[in-house]
Parts: sequence; C-alpha cells; structure tokens
Amino acid sequence: MKQSSSALFYAQLTFTLLVCAFLIVPVVQSVVAGLTENFMVGVKSGLTLRWFVKVWDLYRDTIFLSILIGLTCLAATLVLGVPAAYAMVKKQNRWTRLFEELLVTPLAVPGLAIALALIINYGSFTGFRRSWTFILVGHVIFTLPFMVRSVIAIMNSVNLREFEEGAASLGAGFWQRFFQIVIPNAMPGILAGSLMVFTLSIGEFNLTWMLHTPQTKTLPVGLADSYASMRLEIGSAYTIIFFLMIIPLLIAMQWVAKPRKRKFVMEKLDHSPTATENSVLKPIVATSVPPSRKDEARTMSGTSLRLVNCAKTFVDGTHALETFSLEVQAGETVVILGPSGCGKTTLLRIIAGLESPDSGGKVFFDDEDVTEIPIEKRNVGMVFQSYALFPNMTVAENIAYGLKVRGVEAAKRTRRVSEMLEMMKIGELQNRRIDQLSGGQKQRVALARAIAVRPKVLLLDEPLTALDAKLRDLLRVEIDSLLRSLGITAIYVTHDQAEAMALGDRIVVMNIARVAQVGAPREVYFEPKTRFVAEFIGTVNRIRGCLQQGRLVFPGGSVPLPESSAARAGENVDIELFFRPEHAVLAEPGKGHLRATVVASFFMGDRTRLIIEGSSDDYLTIETKGIQSFQKGQQVEVSIDPTALLKLES
Amino acid sequence: MQKRYNWLLLALFLPAFSVFIAFFLLPLARLAVESALGPSGVKIYLAAITTPRYRETLIYTILLSVGVTFVTLIISSVAGVFLTRNEFRGKSLLVSMLTFPLAFPGVVVGFMIILLVGRQGLIGDITKWVSGEKLVLAYSMAGLFLGYLYFSIPRTITTIMASAEKLDRNLEEAARSLGASPWRVVKDVLIPALVPGLISSGAICFATSMGAFGTAFTLATDIDVLPILIYTEFTLVANIAMAAALSIVLGLITWIALSVARAAAGNAVAAAG
Repeated sequence: MKQSSSALFYAQLTFTLLVCAFLIVPVVQSVVAGLTENFMVGVKSGLTLRWFVKVWDLYRDTIFLSILIGLTCLAATLVLGVPAAYAMVKKQNRWTRLFEELLVTPLAVPGLAIALALIINYGSFTGFRRSWTFILVGHVIFTLPFMVRSVIAIMNSVNLREFEEGAASLGAGFWQRFFQIVIPNAMPGILAGSLMVFTLSIGEFNLTWMLHTPQTKTLPVGLADSYASMRLEIGSAYTIIFFLMIIPLLIAMQWVAKPRKRKFVMEKLDHSPTATENSVLKPIVATSVPPSRKDEARTMSGTSLRLVNCAKTFVDGTHALETFSLEVQAGETVVILGPSGCGKTTLLRIIAGLESPDSGGKVFFDDEDVTEIPIEKRNVGMVFQSYALFPNMTVAENIAYGLKVRGVEAAKRTRRVSEMLEMMKIGELQNRRIDQLSGGQKQRVALARAIAVRPKVLLLDEPLTALDAKLRDLLRVEIDSLLRSLGITAIYVTHDQAEAMALGDRIVVMNIARVAQVGAPREVYFEPKTRFVAEFIGTVNRIRGCLQQGRLVFPGGSVPLPESSAARAGENVDIELFFRPEHAVLAEPGKGHLRATVVASFFMGDRTRLIIEGSSDDYLTIETKGIQSFQKGQQVEVSIDPTALLKLES
Repeated sequence: MQKRYNWLLLALFLPAFSVFIAFFLLPLARLAVESALGPSGVKIYLAAITTPRYRETLIYTILLSVGVTFVTLIISSVAGVFLTRNEFRGKSLLVSMLTFPLAFPGVVVGFMIILLVGRQGLIGDITKWVSGEKLVLAYSMAGLFLGYLYFSIPRTITTIMASAEKLDRNLEEAARSLGASPWRVVKDVLIPALVPGLISSGAICFATSMGAFGTAFTLATDIDVLPILIYTEFTLVANIAMAAALSIVLGLITWIALSVARAAAGNAVAAAG
C-alpha cells in the first residue's frame, strides 16, 4: 500500500514536471536568446545587453503607452466597477441581474469581434479612432467584468449586510457606510481586481491589434512587430522586458489571494485561561462604576417604546408577523422568545428601523412617531448575533465609530471609549484587531459599541447564541447586571427559554408570526395560556381522562380536582389537563394518584428524570430527588399536586 | 431602509451600465446590422457556412478547440489535483512556474512555440541530433495545437486547483473507510465532485481557443483559423459584411458553449448537493 502510493506520487510528479518543462523551457530559451550575441551560434557567441538598448530605442513608446492605458483603464474600472458591484450586491432586481448576465458576454465574445464592432460603430470619428483612448475603451469593456466580479465575490463573502446594518444602527448614513465600511471591507477584492485589470490591459493583444494605429502601438503590438522583424534576439530581449513587467504583478496577485493567517492568534487566545476566562469572570459593571456612570444611567433610561398595529408581510407574500401591539416601559427589559422562524427577529428589526411595518403600523419612542425614521437617525443601540464588528477597525475604533459618525469631538470620543473599555473590562484589548478576539471578547466589544452612543433603546438579537454553554451562562449574568445598572430600555431576542426567564422583566412568547403570550417570567411559566407556551417554556405532561364527581379519572388512576378549579365544570366529559414534572412526586405504594411503569430513567446528578407510561396516551416525565435508582419496567406510584393542574388551549 | 436608497444605488450603477451599453451593446448591435447590409443581405450567414473556404476554416477551428479543450482538461486535472493533494519542497515554485504563462498575450505564446518547435527550435535541434532529421512543428496544425495548449493549461490548472481545494476530504475518507481502492475513490468520488469545475473550465478553455488570435497570427501557419479569417476579410479583402457575419457566428458559438456549460455545471452542482 505504502509503496504503490509512493509510486503514484512520483508518477504524478514526473508528469507535472513535464508539463512545467513544456511551459518554462521556451521562457528560458527566450531569456538566453535575448542575452546572447547570436542566438544561432549559442551562448558561446558571448553575452550582451545590446539587444535591450535596441529594444529601448525602437519600442520604448509602446511600453509607455501600455502603462498609460493600463493605469487609465484601471482608474476607469475602479470608478465604474466598484460602485456598480456594490449596487448589484445591494439591489437584486431585473436590471442588475440583466447586467450581471451581460457582464459575462465580453468573456464569451472574442476580442476580435468586440474590436470590429467598435471600429464599425465609432471608426468614423477619426480623432477618437486615431487616439489611444480608442484602445482604452476596448480595454475597459474587456476588463470591467473582471473588476466587477472580483468585487462582487468579496462583498458576498464578508457578510456586508450585517456590517452595514451595524454601521447604520450606530448612525452612519449611506455615503458614510459606503466609504467607511463597504470600501475598506471589499479591499481584498478591489486589490485583486485591480491587479487583474492592469495585467490584462498590459498584455491585451486580440482587441488591441485591431484597434491600434501606427501612432498608437502598445507593448504587445510592439512585440508582434519585433517578432515579425526576424531578429530573434530583439524579440527575445523585448519579451524579457515584458516578463520583468508582469512578474511583480503576478507575485502581488498571489500575495493578495493568499488567506491571512490571523485565526491562529485567536485560537491561542481562546484557549488561554488568563486572557479570556479571567476577564469574563470579572463582573462587568457591579465592581467599578465610576461616579459619572450614575448620571449616564439616568440619561439612558428615559425612553419608553410603543408598537401599534405592527404587521409585516414580505414582498413574496409571507406573513412574517401578524398585527401586533406592545408597550414597553422606560427602563424595562422585554425578551422576545420563540422558536426559529417565528418572526421574533423581524419584530426586532421593525423596532430598529431596519424593516418598516406594513402600512398602518406605527413605532413610537416616547411620544415621537419614529416609523418613518431610518435606523441611522433613530438612536438605537444594536447587538447582532454575529456581532457585526467592523474587521477594518480596531476594538477602540469600533467602539468610537458611532460617536465619530455623530461628529463628537476627538477628546470626548477618546474619553467615552476609555470609559466603555473600563466598564467592559476590555481595556487591554483596545488596539486589537477584531479577528484577534475570542467569542466572549467580541461580545463585550459589541455591547460597548452599542452602548457608547447612549442609545434610547438597546436591541439585542440572540447575542449569546454563538457562544459555548459555559461562556453563555457567565455572559448572561453580566448582561443582566449591565442592563439593571444602566436602567436602559432593552429588547432582547432569543430562542433560549432559560435566557428569557433570567433576563426579562416581561417575556413575549411568539409562535409562527403570532404572539402567543405576554407576561412576567413567572406568569408565563406558571400560567401559560396555550399548550405551545407551556411546552416551549419547560416540560409539560398531558393526561386525558373523564370528569367524574370532581375527580379526573384516567386509565392508571385518578386525581381529585380542587373546589375552585375551573376544570370541574361538567360531569362525564372528556378533558385534558397538564402539569409540570416538578409538580409530581413519587408516593408510597397505595397512596399515589396514579400507577405507572418506568420506561427510562436519566440520572442528572442532583435529581433523576423518569419517563413513565401506563396512565396516559403520552409518556409522562417526572423528576425525583434522592439517591434511589430505577430499572426499566419497575412499577412506581406518583402523586400530583392538584392545584398545579392546568387547563390549556391547544 | 431599502427604498430610501434606491436612487443612490441607481446613481452608483448607471455609469458602468451606460458605458457598457455605449461601447459594447450598441457596437455589437451595429455589427449585427452591418453584417446584413452587404450585397447578399441576411443570406450572408448562409454563405458564411456553405462557402467551402469559410466552412473548412470553421470546422478546423472547432475541431482544434475541442481537441485542445479535452487534452488540456486531462493534463490540468492530473497536475491540478496532484498539486492540491500533496505537500513537497519546491511546490510553490512549481505552481508559480505552471501559472506564469497565464499573463502572456497570444503573440508571446506564439513566440514561445517558435522557440520550442520552430525552425531554430530546441526540439528541432534535439531531433536533428538524435535522428538526423529536424522536426519542425510550429507552422503546422500541430504547432497551433501546442500553442493553444500552452495558453490553456495555466488557466485551467488554476481553476481546477481552486475547485479541488474546496472538495470535502471527508467524502474521500468515507469512501476509503468503506473499503474503496484509490482508483475507486478517484472514479466514484473525486471525478464526480470535480465535474462541475471541469465543465466550466472546459467551456472557458473552448471559448478562449475559438477566439484566440495572437498565437495563430504570430505562427502565421498555412491553416487559417476563424479569427485570422475574420481579420483578413476585414483588412485585406475589405469585405466588412462577411467579417461582421463571421464575427457574429464566432461570438454565437462561444456564447452558446458557455451558456450550455453554465446550465450543465449548475445542474451537476445541484445533483451533487
């Protein structure tokens, strides 16, 4: 096995080397030919540089013209191509898609045909026809697709939308986003595209040969002339000059395309307990709040939030959100909880101003109607699930960004940034790049950036989802104490019920574009209105039976219903009741409400979770404390707290 | 938020769009119109594919391009996959040498072929030394074929290396864990996974070969290819209508090849997913 695979390796290597020889041997020959006195005689005729002097005398104009056309072509494709690429990424409609299709055609249509078309159409404008700009136009058409595609590719790969939304939430307008966020983050693509365009323009022959005139000869045209001159040495020397011009471009292209290896640093940080864990363990706010913070807290707390008849239907007709109204008190933390795809993020984006509600819906901050105000003017702070930290800025620059956009003077900005760094305990990270941070550190920077602008409302979109379980628990505590100490109005979106219970003053439970229940955590847990709410928040058991003389009778036993219970109405009617695992306990034989068989038992350390069957259509889940262990098939008796039985709408 | 910026986005988009219309779509449309304005009108297209000289050139060009495409794909896949799958000293140098000719214009490629297999070429010297007979290929179909290979291989190797890098190595490991031999892995996993990349780079290779002008121009072979024919029709014969018609035919062939490949590669991608 080892031997055959190494034989395979050498066979492939030899093959690849042969291919390489086919490509490189003539290159070497041309280099030798350009440096020897007489190529026919060989190297023994002596080495010389005189052919280069000859080339310089005969053809230097063609080199200059090619560089001029290359640079102008580059400038033109940058000015035309980069904005167009951005528009095409942002706006997907019939026109941009058509243009995207069309952009492929210059690759399909041979250069000769393009040149012919240009000559037929514009050849009669003799001034234009005779100038080098005629060649330039051909080069722009030929190279523009490469620039646009390179920029589009990078823009699609860096999650531009999130960065832009992040910038908008901090107050950046269209042009600020374009120049401060879009262009810097698209830089690798712009650079790669630029190198490509310049190299292509320098070497373009198919088009150029048709378009050139005796006064406008480019480098490849000169090359063709020199090859036709039958002096192999001059042709070779000229080819060497061409090689020398493109080699740096090719090296630069490889360098740009190489992936940067900064991730390595990040992983190192993630695993070092001193850098991450310790700083995470330091509580953010409680220990060292400077005195001024209290004033700040007061200025931040003052905004109440009101949604009136907000609904959202997307262009394709999907109802992302049914009509819904909500009032949030100043300083209150409201958690929007629901499974993925339930519309909770849409709701948050409506509050943020990233989406507008269907007509009729209104959003108020205090008494001000902000429905028509775009996110950058709404003065909200937003923390994104992926953090959307700008990779082209350091930690401190990220935090300062919202202030910079608002035109806050530099000294004040620096002061506020250092307050934030201190508050979040990330002072030592201020000059780090974003890709050098661990998940927890990114989370803190994202929070600091959102709070630094003293927003009216803080919006958090699943901010802990990207973190591992242990870090999530720690940061949950931190966010809780931060929200309490700032007293800021906050809307927090999550699918994690434990997070919702811990953080929310009130919870909005959502299911399939609809609000299922709004209430304080205890209310939602102990008095769920629907089966969905009960099942989504914690575990719930269902028993189905018949109502007889104030008792619910079912196959494995019966439970008395309390006098006050609404479920007691009626006699001999079938009903369903629900209870949570913690409202049932194991009972002494003969004293329980129901008898059942153990299906499975899960030892969880502090308690044991039992799955039992025999008294209902469904398995029941109950929890028991203590050290007893259970076998499958074992008979148990269970008593249920009758006051905890719930009647739920399905 | 989207609606508010529609006008600004349009303003960003329009300059490129209008330049494209003015200097590409409009001239191409004019080219199409011009082709039908000659003495024979639209029938010129019939002439373009029935006149023996034109028809032979067209067939030669297509055969040459198809042949070059196949050979290039085979050579480049073997070398490309080998280079992505193995680490050895000097690999990056080898890769740079293989991709160096990427930026050569067709004229330089032609010159390279003259140096390699021309009258004073290396191969000629070697064959003369070995057998006494000088082997000169540069000015025949074989020279053209080598020239087209020369500019096709570097481009194709880079795209194949890129798509080979994206392959999920777990798939191959899974196949091996199920007992597949190295050849079976190549046949059942590697090649099917590479097919979309092969189709699209093959189509680009074909299109570039169809339209290549500089190489044939420098080699000045006795066999005309379509771009040379268009050039001579336009500059020497001044038969503008025929030159335009042949350009349209050439453009259509390459455009069809690229669209078919895009559709096929897209389907293959979907099927693999």
